[in-house]
Amino acid sequence: MSETHESAPATPVFSVRNLWKVFGPKAHRVPGDKELAGLSAAELTKRTGCTAAVRDVSFDVRKGEVFVVMGLSGSGKSTLVRCLTRLIEPTAGVLEMDGEDVRAMDKHRLRELRRHRTAMVFQNFGLLPHRTVTDNVAYGLEIQGMSKQERRAKGTEMVEKVGLEGLGDRRPVQLSGGQQQRVGLARALAVDPEVLLFDEPFSALDPLIRRDMQEEVIRLHREEGRTMIFITHDLSEALRLGDRILLMRDGEIVQLGTPEEIVANPADDYVRDFVRDVPREQVISVRRAMRPAEKADGDNGAELSPDTLVSDAIEAVARSGENLRVVDDGRTIGVIDHACLLNVVAGIDGDDDGEGDPGKDKEVAAV
Amino acid sequence: MSTPTIPEQGEQKTSDAPSPRQPDGRPEQQAPPSGLAVLARSPKVLAVLVAVLVVVVSAAVGGSGVWPQGWTIDIRTPLNDLDGWLVDNREKSPIFLYFLLHISNSAESSVDAIISLFDAMGWIGVTVVGTLVGWAAGGSDLSRRALRTGGTTLGVFIACGVLNMWAPTMETLALMTVAVFAAAVLGLLLGLGAGLSDRFEKILRPVFDTMQVMPAFAYLLPLLLMFGVGVPSALIATVIYAAPPMARLTSLGLRSADPAALEASASLGASHWQRLWTARLPLARKQMMLGLNQAIMMCLSMVVLASLIGSEGLGDEIYQALGSLDVGTALTAGVAVVLIAVLLDRTTAAAGERLDATVTVGATRLMARIRMAVWGLVLALIGVFSAVGSSIGEREWPDVWTVDVTRPLQSAVDWLTETIGSGIPVLGGTVVWAKGFTVYVLNPLRSGLETTPWWALALLVGVIGWIVGTWRAALTGVICLGLIGMMGLWEKSMDTFSQVIGGLVLTMVIGIVLGILTARVERVERMLRPVLDTMQTMPQFVYLIPVIALVGLSRSAGIIAAVIYACPAVIRITAQGLRYVDPAAMEASRSLGATSRQQLLGVQLPLARKSLLVGVNQGVVLVLSMVVIAGLIGGGALGYDVVQGLSKGDLSQGLPAGIAIVCLGIMLDRITQPAGERPRD
Amino acid sequence: MKNKQIRKTVVAGIGILGALSLSACGAAETNSGGGTDDKVVLAEPSWVGAQANAAVVKKLMEDELDVKVEAKQMDEPVAFDALDSGKADAILEDWHGVPKKEKKYVDEKKTVVSGGDLGVVGHIGWFVPKYYADKNPDVTDYKNLNKYAKDFRTSESGDKGHFIGAAPSYSQHDKELIKNFDLDYKHIPSGAEAAQLKEIQRLYEAKKPFLTYWWEPQWMNNKIDMVEVELPKHTPGCEEPAAKAKCGYETNQLEKFLNADFAKSNSDAAKFIKNFKWTTKDQNEVAGDIAGKKMKPEDAAEKWIKANKSTWEKWLPKK
Repeated sequence: MSETHESAPATPVFSVRNLWKVFGPKAHRVPGDKELAGLSAAELTKRTGCTAAVRDVSFDVRKGEVFVVMGLSGSGKSTLVRCLTRLIEPTAGVLEMDGEDVRAMDKHRLRELRRHRTAMVFQNFGLLPHRTVTDNVAYGLEIQGMSKQERRAKGTEMVEKVGLEGLGDRRPVQLSGGQQQRVGLARALAVDPEVLLFDEPFSALDPLIRRDMQEEVIRLHREEGRTMIFITHDLSEALRLGDRILLMRDGEIVQLGTPEEIVANPADDYVRDFVRDVPREQVISVRRAMRPAEKADGDNGAELSPDTLVSDAIEAVARSGENLRVVDDGRTIGVIDHACLLNVVAGIDGDDDGEGDPGKDKEVAAV
Repeated sequence: MSTPTIPEQGEQKTSDAPSPRQPDGRPEQQAPPSGLAVLARSPKVLAVLVAVLVVVVSAAVGGSGVWPQGWTIDIRTPLNDLDGWLVDNREKSPIFLYFLLHISNSAESSVDAIISLFDAMGWIGVTVVGTLVGWAAGGSDLSRRALRTGGTTLGVFIACGVLNMWAPTMETLALMTVAVFAAAVLGLLLGLGAGLSDRFEKILRPVFDTMQVMPAFAYLLPLLLMFGVGVPSALIATVIYAAPPMARLTSLGLRSADPAALEASASLGASHWQRLWTARLPLARKQMMLGLNQAIMMCLSMVVLASLIGSEGLGDEIYQALGSLDVGTALTAGVAVVLIAVLLDRTTAAAGERLDATVTVGATRLMARIRMAVWGLVLALIGVFSAVGSSIGEREWPDVWTVDVTRPLQSAVDWLTETIGSGIPVLGGTVVWAKGFTVYVLNPLRSGLETTPWWALALLVGVIGWIVGTWRAALTGVICLGLIGMMGLWEKSMDTFSQVIGGLVLTMVIGIVLGILTARVERVERMLRPVLDTMQTMPQFVYLIPVIALVGLSRSAGIIAAVIYACPAVIRITAQGLRYVDPAAMEASRSLGATSRQQLLGVQLPLARKSLLVGVNQGVVLVLSMVVIAGLIGGGALGYDVVQGLSKGDLSQGLPAGIAIVCLGIMLDRITQPAGERPRD
Repeated sequence: MKNKQIRKTVVAGIGILGALSLSACGAAETNSGGGTDDKVVLAEPSWVGAQANAAVVKKLMEDELDVKVEAKQMDEPVAFDALDSGKADAILEDWHGVPKKEKKYVDEKKTVVSGGDLGVVGHIGWFVPKYYADKNPDVTDYKNLNKYAKDFRTSESGDKGHFIGAAPSYSQHDKELIKNFDLDYKHIPSGAEAAQLKEIQRLYEAKKPFLTYWWEPQWMNNKIDMVEVELPKHTPGCEEPAAKAKCGYETNQLEKFLNADFAKSNSDAAKFIKNFKWTTKDQNEVAGDIAGKKMKPEDAAEKWIKANKSTWEKWLPKK
């Protein structure tokens, strides 16, 4: 996936600035009030009876990327994603899709957006038990007002696309959990949306099936390059799928960055705790692990691209038995040796870097 | 980077209008995929079609479809004999001397004792103690709940006094106290038995099922003959009516207790008794509280209805007032009944809530002591007031403090009925509408049912029962029809049946429309809730007479009363069903950009199908029970026979009609009850 | 589940409770409530005239004789059972509506005895409103009723005329009369007197034609004008059996009935009730106050008592 996010920075698909969602009585006064906005979650509830599910969040989602929003339950991630299509009405902030102000849309325009430009896959599937699989898949098309024949055809096509050939006449209850979520996925794909929204789609599934489904999403993304916003509480899922990850806690952004940045450069102790058990060599690339080239290293030896994962570099280093050069565009930008690699595995490098420029990630998050 | 391509605006316009419903039927889930599925479900559809066809053709050809004379059996003679025996032996037979009369006497003396206790305490004493009890039920602290419950109690007592209904209110409360106590104890015992023993449950279940569909009206007569007119009959009828929900919910609570908790208790080595006391009963507490609440509400409605067989209090007040067409007084007494319902409901609800509430940190020991002390105070106050109560105040609410609202109420009702009845410009008014309803709906329906041969109708009932429920339901339905025929009440039952269908259709249309509105528009729900509460607790007698002013003495009058009576439940069930539709499915549909209409027709209604069916079922039972009471206001048919039997004390006329009503009820219940469903639990 | 023990105990508990109520305290009292000297129970049928009787008697007995009186609402059929069992001591106004029970208790069991005439004359018949009779004078003969049947059609009666029948507990043989006279009418009973009154009130106010079972004394007669339709004259026993009845109703001397034990006790209360006798006019006055002017029965009674001392003084037992 990392290939796709290299595209030129065009208008972001979603642009979110200072978004707030506050639940409770007179929620509107909270974002505007400097004093209230500064309170911690517990204090805010105590003072006003309100809960801020999303607090002052800003980010962009680029075209074609898989944007993962991650956090524990209660961190506000599901609320955030629902705010994007106003399934939950945001309290304050700016929200644009393709440069168009979503919060200013009237009912019809918003419906158009939901019908054609976004589609969502839900944790609990949200299938209609009284319809067949095909009819469930075609449900979005039916809502759009497509003729029966057309939508049936499209529905059947989508059913096949997600690997449910021959099950189109069944009813959802007759399918396994994984199959049901494939129906949910097909339903979302059927309307050919610009953006796919996933709300913890696989957390109700068994680990093996979850893996299958993740592969499916990766495959779809590779084939179609559709923009995806993916909500999860599972770090490994986030790291597997995400081009960029937005980490949330108590409604606020903790860190926003590529998986590598987050693992190598945790913004604070919370994130560090979070990524502690991640096999770092499988996330961090040699670009981050290398040391500057010295004269002694010379110009010979095997080459590696800077995006090579450390785990792969270990293999190469072990095989060749000598240091490797990291080459970008024919220019040697660094050298990788045993020590560098061990540092990554041992988790020593990240600490140094993390303390070195803590402001960097914050900046990213604030973009 | 793909962009949306297919569904662009232009294309959309050419496509068909959205058709939110699926054309194919909604069959059972087990059906295998593809063509087989179609085959598997079609026989049922086919069967219905054939049955309907048979009914229509045979009705058109046959002319008259009355049950054959030769197949009826004479039950009047034995019933007359029984009647005679009862009259002769009421004071001699051992079954009376050693059993029934004990019940009757103790019922009477306990009610008398409580009334004289209230009398002795005086109105001040009763109000003070009542308020204290309410406060104690709410938790006897300074929390909002406790204060609200206590305040409600105080308010209700004062309101009943101000409305000049103090004495009848006390009589009703006394009756209620005894009835609720008896119903709760009886229900608890039966529920314990049914909850712990499968065999007992198996015996009780059909009894309870029958009780649920049986209009209370139907069993007033036998009680009247056994115990004579008066408090005992009323009390016993009330207890019989109110005990089943308590028993049902107790048994349900015992059976549905969390198995993990029970297992844990067993693993700790608890004996069966320990398990019952420490795990099963406490776990069933919530259900039991709910059962008590239901029992209380049913007691209240029955205590009023039982004024027909001599209960005292507010019901009698209403009944008497109607004798001189004094709707104002009847309505005032009705308001008092509603107030008592509010009081009892809030108090039990508060007590029930307290079971749920987590214990607040600290001071629990102290609170427990305070609560004990409050209850002690209540007892002490009862003693003190009954000793000195009458000396510090009058026995009854002082007359000076009353407000006569009967006149304004009377003129308000008169004005309303006149305006709606015939004063609406252009549209005419209810009198005209009711005439249309009778001529174009009821009459054809009745003559249709009467000309349909009995066997064709039995066939239809059987087929519907089999499709909606099970073959057992079908069989029960057919047997019930057979019984009706054998008692020689076919024609009258068909008349009643046609009224039930008419009432049911109206109820369902109104109920579902309002239910949808309630579920979707919050303002409607807020406006409707108090209205529904009042409608459900207001005694039916109160609106029987004004309804005559609306549509005249006719079957329509009974049907309107039935619709008023049954609508709240249907509205509630519909709204609840719609609201509790799987939120994920609703959200999915919203996220796909479905309009409100698309959400309603495509998701909510289909998914709420089960609760809609429950609504139909409930509607049937309620409409039937009211169409029968409508015998009092021109409903005729079976209801009139029961009324006649009651007022003449004629067993041979009232009892068969009562049984026919029960048969009709069971039949309708079975053919509207989806398989495997036990609603109302 | 190994709940056998508990189950047994519970079932046994239920059994014991049942058995307790069966046997523990021996034979029950058969005669609770009423029948004793300190409290007299009056059976009060549901119509207003009966309320007037009961209110006046109650007021007088409580004020003059110092006897506590309770009036319990019950219609004649039930009242006779109550008189038989002693649950009620007296009924003040019986229209002879339950001849079977009357025969059984008065003649056979001798548990109920007559208390003499009430003095009020009861009359039952078929009536049409005056405004209709004025326009169609010959409607007052039952033989002409078929001619007018179409005027009386309603949605309930279909293509026949609508005959408003009486409440079930009232003495009637209208259904049979309609059949025996071959009248083109459908008998549609009222379930209760209140329902019938309301219906007549509604029709009268709308000036619609109607034909009804009606009677005197009846408080609503103060408010509405009705004209009787002549039926063949009543002769003793002509309505027996009802299926062959071809005559109108007897003009009744309304009668009082007493529980035999109560009557034999010869207490002041019993004597007073036997003496109680007033006129149709008297009763209508009180009933009109109750129903028409919505006075409380006790107030209406008090008003009449104040104005008619000479009448009621004669009822008091001689000391």
